[in-house]
Amino acid sequence: MRSGDRDSIMIKDLVNPTNFNILVGKLGDALTRALDQPLGYAINWGRIWSLWPVHLETACCSVEFGAASGPRYDVERFGIIEAFGSLRQCDLIVVQGTVTRKMAPRLRMVYDQMPDPKYVIAMGACAITGGLYIDSYNVLPGVDGIIPVDVYVPGCPPRPETLIQGTMLLQEKIKRLKIR
Amino acid sequence: MDNLEQKFNETIKMGLDIVKETEEDRLMTLSVGPQHPGSGHFRFTIKVDGDYIVYCDPDPGYVHRGEEKMCEYRNFIQNIPHLERPIIHDSTNITYSYSLAVEELANIQVPLRGQYIRALASELNRQVYTLYWLAIYGIFLGHSTMFMWPMGDRELFIDLLEALTGARVTHAFNIPGGVRNDVPEGFKDRCLRQVAYFEKRLTEYEDIFYNNPLFRQRTEGVGILTKDNAIKLGVTGSVLRASGIPFDVRKAEPYDIYNEIDFKIQYMKTCDSFARSTVPFLDMKESCHIIRQLLDKMPKSGEVRAKLQPNPKGPPGESYKRVESGRGALGYYIVSDGTPKPYRVKISVGSFRNMLALPFLLIGSKLADMPSIYWSLNYWPVEADR
Repeated sequence: MRSGDRDSIMIKDLVNPTNFNILVGKLGDALTRALDQPLGYAINWGRIWSLWPVHLETACCSVEFGAASGPRYDVERFGIIEAFGSLRQCDLIVVQGTVTRKMAPRLRMVYDQMPDPKYVIAMGACAITGGLYIDSYNVLPGVDGIIPVDVYVPGCPPRPETLIQGTMLLQEKIKRLKIR
Repeated sequence: MDNLEQKFNETIKMGLDIVKETEEDRLMTLSVGPQHPGSGHFRFTIKVDGDYIVYCDPDPGYVHRGEEKMCEYRNFIQNIPHLERPIIHDSTNITYSYSLAVEELANIQVPLRGQYIRALASELNRQVYTLYWLAIYGIFLGHSTMFMWPMGDRELFIDLLEALTGARVTHAFNIPGGVRNDVPEGFKDRCLRQVAYFEKRLTEYEDIFYNNPLFRQRTEGVGILTKDNAIKLGVTGSVLRASGIPFDVRKAEPYDIYNEIDFKIQYMKTCDSFARSTVPFLDMKESCHIIRQLLDKMPKSGEVRAKLQPNPKGPPGESYKRVESGRGALGYYIVSDGTPKPYRVKISVGSFRNMLALPFLLIGSKLADMPSIYWSLNYWPVEADR
C-alpha cells in the first residue's frame, strides 16, 4: 500500500458500517503494539510470578501435583500459588493425567470459563498421548485435541521436579510472548 | 389458614400471576465437583433446605479408564503397571492381591524372604497412603498445618520406598512369584530410624490435630453410621472398624506371613466422623509395630522370587484373593481359560463400597458437615472408577 492512499481508505472505512469494527480492531492492535515496548516486560513479569492453577484433577497425576505443593518441593517459591481458588481468577490449568470421555466436556468448560490470558500444562504421559491407556475405550489420545497446550511435562507420573521444570519453561515462554 | 387459602383463591380468580410456594421451591441444588477444591475427581449433587441436606446423588465415573477390559488383552505380567494406576499412592497393596490371585491360579510358591519383603513394602505403602489422606483431610477442614506436616513426613517414607523399589509412587514391585528385587544394603537400619522418628511425630499429630477443640467440634457426633447400618451398607476398612466392628483381612483371612505377626485390630465404638478419622491414624501406629517385627523376623538370605516361565499361565479356573489395603478389603477375581491372558478380571475395591454410604450419611446432616463426612469415608475416586 502506498502511503498516500491511507487517509482516503480511513474515511471510506468510517462511512461503511461493516468495516468499522475492523478499523476499531486495527486501532486496538496498534494500541497493544504501542504498549508492548514500554510496558510489555512489566506486564509479563507480573504474570510470571502469579500463576494461579485451577484445581481440576483429571486423574492420578494429582498425587504428584499435591506433593509438588507440599513442603519439600514447595512450588510457591516459583510463583505458583496453591490451587484452592475460583477458576474465574485462575490463569493456569494443569491437566493432571488421563482425560476420559466423561471428563473432556468438563475440562473444556473449565477452560472456556477462565479469563484471558490462560496457559495450559499437559502433565503426564496420558495427557500428552494417552500413555498407558492408549488402547482403552474411554480415554482420549492426548488432551491437545480439546484445548491448546503450552508445555508438555512427560512422565508417568512426572516427578515433582519435572513439574517444576515444566512450569519454569512456561515462565520462560510467557516472558517472550507479546502481551495480549 | 383457611383465610390464607381463601385469599389465594381470590387472587387466582382476579387473574394475578401469583404462584403458591411449594416444597420444591425452598430447595437449592448444589453441584460439588469435579472442579472443587475438595471433591477430587468426583461429583455429587446435593439439595439443601436451609442448612440441611435433604438429597444427595453421587456421580462417579470421571476417571473410568476400563482397567478390567484392558486386563483381557495383556498377559499376567504386562497387567501389573496399569493395575496400580488407580491408586498410585497405595500401589503395592493393589498389586498385592493381584499377585496372590495369579499365584493361586498358576500354583506358584513364593519364597519366604519374598513374602516378608512384600509385607514390608505393603506396610510402608500403607503409611504413605494414610499420610496423603490425612493431608487432604486436614486442608479440606481448613487446617493448613495438617496439610504440611503429613506431606513432609510422607516424603521420608517415599524415600525409603524409592530405595527399595526404584520409583517414587508407582513401584510395580509385587509380581506373581514374589518381589522384583532384594532390599538394598543398610535398608534395615534406615527403616528402623525412620519408624522411630515417625512414632515421635505421631504424638505431635495427636496434639495438634486430634486434640484440637475445633477439629473435635466439627467431627464429634457428626455423620453417625451405626453398627447395623455399616453391615447393611457393606462398608469396609477403617469405616467399618470405626463403627465398632473389629474386622481386618490381615486377621480374618491371613495371607502370606501375616499369621506370624503379632498385632491388634484397631477399632472404635463411637461411629462418628471423629472415629472414622482416628482409626487410620491408629492403624499407622500399629503399622509401625508390624514393620519392626517384619524387619526382625526376616530371613537373612534367600531367594526373593520364584522362577517363572516367560509367560506364566495356569490351568483353566478361577481365583479370588483379597488383602487389607489403606481403604479396606481389596480383592481380585480372576477367571482364566488356560491362556497367558486372563479371561476376565474383576477388581473389588474398598473405595466404591465406602462411597455407597455417602448419600446415607449426608442426608439429614448440615451443609457445613459435608467436608468432614466426605473425606472421613476414606474414599479415593480414581480407585472407585477403575
